[in-house]
Amino acid sequence: MVKGNEDSESVYSGSEMLYFFMLEKGRMTVDTKKNEVILSIKNVSKSFPGVRALDDVSVAFSRGTVHGVVGENGAGKSTLMKILSGIYTKDAGTVVFDGEEIEHTTPVQSLKRGLSIIYQEFNLVNTLTAGENIFLGRYAELKGMRNIHRKARALLDSIGSTINTNKLVGDLSAAEKQMVEITKALSFDSKLIIMDEPSSSLTADELKRLFVIIDDLRKKGVTIIYISHKLDEIFQLCDMVTIIRDGKIIDTKSIEKLTRSDMIAKMIGREIENEYPERSRCVGETIMEVRDIRTRKLKDISFELKKGEILGFVGLVGAGRTEIVRAIYGADKAKELKIFINEKEVKIKNPRDGKRESIGLLPEDRKLEGLVLPFSVQANITMSSLEGITKFGFIRKAKEKDIAIRQIKNLSIKTPSPNTKAKTLSGGNQQKCIMGRWLEIDPDILILDEPTRGIDVGTKYEIYLLVKKIAEKGGSVIMISSELPEVLAMSNRVLTICEGRISGEFNPEIDSAHDIMDAAIG
Amino acid sequence: MIKQSQGARLRIVDFLLEYLVLIAIVALILITAIVSPRFLTVDNFINLMRQFGPLSFVALGMTFIIVGGFIDLSIPGMISLVAMVTLMLVDTIGEIPALIIGLLLGTTMGFINGMILVISGASTQAKALFITFGMSLIYRSIALIITGGFPMNWGTLFEHPMPVTRTLGAGTLGILSHSFILFLFFLAVLFIFQSKTFLGRAIAYTGGNLNAAELGGIPTKRIMIFIYALCGFMTAVGAIVLFSRVSVTVPTVGTFFERDAIMAVVVGGTSLLGGKGSVLRTVMGVSLVILMSNCMNLMGVNTHMQEVVRGAILVLAVWLDHRRHERG
Repeated sequence: MVKGNEDSESVYSGSEMLYFFMLEKGRMTVDTKKNEVILSIKNVSKSFPGVRALDDVSVAFSRGTVHGVVGENGAGKSTLMKILSGIYTKDAGTVVFDGEEIEHTTPVQSLKRGLSIIYQEFNLVNTLTAGENIFLGRYAELKGMRNIHRKARALLDSIGSTINTNKLVGDLSAAEKQMVEITKALSFDSKLIIMDEPSSSLTADELKRLFVIIDDLRKKGVTIIYISHKLDEIFQLCDMVTIIRDGKIIDTKSIEKLTRSDMIAKMIGREIENEYPERSRCVGETIMEVRDIRTRKLKDISFELKKGEILGFVGLVGAGRTEIVRAIYGADKAKELKIFINEKEVKIKNPRDGKRESIGLLPEDRKLEGLVLPFSVQANITMSSLEGITKFGFIRKAKEKDIAIRQIKNLSIKTPSPNTKAKTLSGGNQQKCIMGRWLEIDPDILILDEPTRGIDVGTKYEIYLLVKKIAEKGGSVIMISSELPEVLAMSNRVLTICEGRISGEFNPEIDSAHDIMDAAIG
Repeated sequence: MIKQSQGARLRIVDFLLEYLVLIAIVALILITAIVSPRFLTVDNFINLMRQFGPLSFVALGMTFIIVGGFIDLSIPGMISLVAMVTLMLVDTIGEIPALIIGLLLGTTMGFINGMILVISGASTQAKALFITFGMSLIYRSIALIITGGFPMNWGTLFEHPMPVTRTLGAGTLGILSHSFILFLFFLAVLFIFQSKTFLGRAIAYTGGNLNAAELGGIPTKRIMIFIYALCGFMTAVGAIVLFSRVSVTVPTVGTFFERDAIMAVVVGGTSLLGGKGSVLRTVMGVSLVILMSNCMNLMGVNTHMQEVVRGAILVLAVWLDHRRHERG
């Protein structure tokens, strides 16, 4: 059985439920205006060498609605959005925006027509102020900086944001940057705003604020295309949903006519029995004890990790979760840190020491910290085990190939060959390459920092199974994740991290999700 | 149909990008052979081989720095200092010990460059650019200070006959010059090192993604120091080959070698972005750079115009490097 909508919402408190109810009401009031189509796409196709990224895609977006677009990684969502903004040119088909057929366009032209895209990574200049960013490239039209800041203020006020327009964007939080992006979109009088995974770096609170703003925009007649992997958000927010798979539109339906399990089945083309595998239960003796980590950000972090245990770290982005594991692994310097493995104190000063003590780290950002993107799948998988298969410093090529093939099979990594470049793989398969790298070494302690971020549902499940298998074979896992249900379903024990401290220890089978979230928020 | 021809065109473009240097070399040989009858003479061939000398050693060393994701502008300083110190020592301690000290000195200077980068925490090409630029000024100035700015006329003024240096500079084995044979030796060793050993691969990982390599357990800091020391050593070899060819050596003898070495490496197709490249490509790059000079000299192109062409080719090479990167 798929976990139902009701179940997953039990994570939210009473006041939050009330808030969702109000959203629901807001949705009713605009129903009447929904019929007018703002953007229609007909028979659009796009091919890249060797891949048909979009295949005869047709979909219409109505004015004043929030339209969700879901699909696994590599399904074609990003390609579609990039065609709309003008980064890619379509091979065939028509795009009609606001009554005007669009043949060729550029990102700037699209903006001026009233179509803006807010990317996951944001498109802002960190060294300029919020106000300057909002009106970037239009200083002359606005006749001076004072006007810019005044108008920016007015726009920010209109979405209920209190960001100081004179603050540098580099100093803003992810949520504030997103507000600046939204304001920038509004400054162009956007009729359609595409948001690509807007929630990926937001905390629960910030997400709520974003939802209020989106709802407000909807009431003003702005159309929002909301791309997300998180189905809970889609159900809370969207009026319509389009499901894309393998470059084809599988279905476009109003949200009431879809259940969560329908949607998952349509995204992956098959039914998934469970969203999470059954919890592993093989916790043994203490393997690692960490005492008094102290860095500029962390204060007195002490905890134990047991053999065969999956230990979850829950906390807001920026609470210090990543810093803890990086300090343990030796990636960051700590002012004070004592680690005991099997009751013996070990000194870990750099990742090599960490690896020697049989610790592995799957980093938070797989593209920046995990993979060498232009290198082959093989080179990426064997990176950490290569040193062990040398003879007089020479790599034994046959063994190297064996490792790559073994892990590709073991993790069912979808790649044409071991020599395919890692950057051509989908996010999930890229993540599996890094998993494979560590599984080959088979460390006693494996640290997973956001292992499923930006990964499609099917691959997520495979990763859960892998983690479970590691624990069952006696390995210990520390799992950091921003997706609360995931940590709660997988872990044997959960530590909440708040502002650089451990704020609580919970048993996810007994303690309620609400209590855990409460401790994480502080 | 349309799809297919597009695919074919893409393949042709990829092919051209991949083998552009080879095509350019062949074209250059053909054109020069037709325009200038002197090009295909034995004298010119030996001349070309001798020119190949100093730059090729430096460029081999530079290849590892660039594959590792960094850059080294300290070459001119290192060449000058190695040449001056070695020559100053010849009369007191003998030729062979002086040459060994020269090689050690080059390696040490490279090692210092690498250490400074690691200790200062400079992990980008841009920072390496400025740090090694500064180091070059220091090394070159030391060369000027210890010699008082005077050139070394080892050909006539030294007491020591310097037999090794003389054979290295002018000797031939069959039609191959000694320095060219030495080059082939280093090429073979470094090629095997780069393609077959863990250390060679680790350099590529470091250049491909420093963060990922570090987190994957690759000893990136040691690698940074190693590639700079290796480049220092190869530069010292280049410096010795350089002064072996001319009997009077000035303290600023290394000027512009960093430029030509970087140009040879990049023109050869090693990516400035790091991670990708090979010493074989560098050989092609060096060949192109030297053939081009030779060709322009034979055709009587004005020196300043030659500089314009060199500059344009460097810009073009970086441009193509970027295009290749985008194509993946």
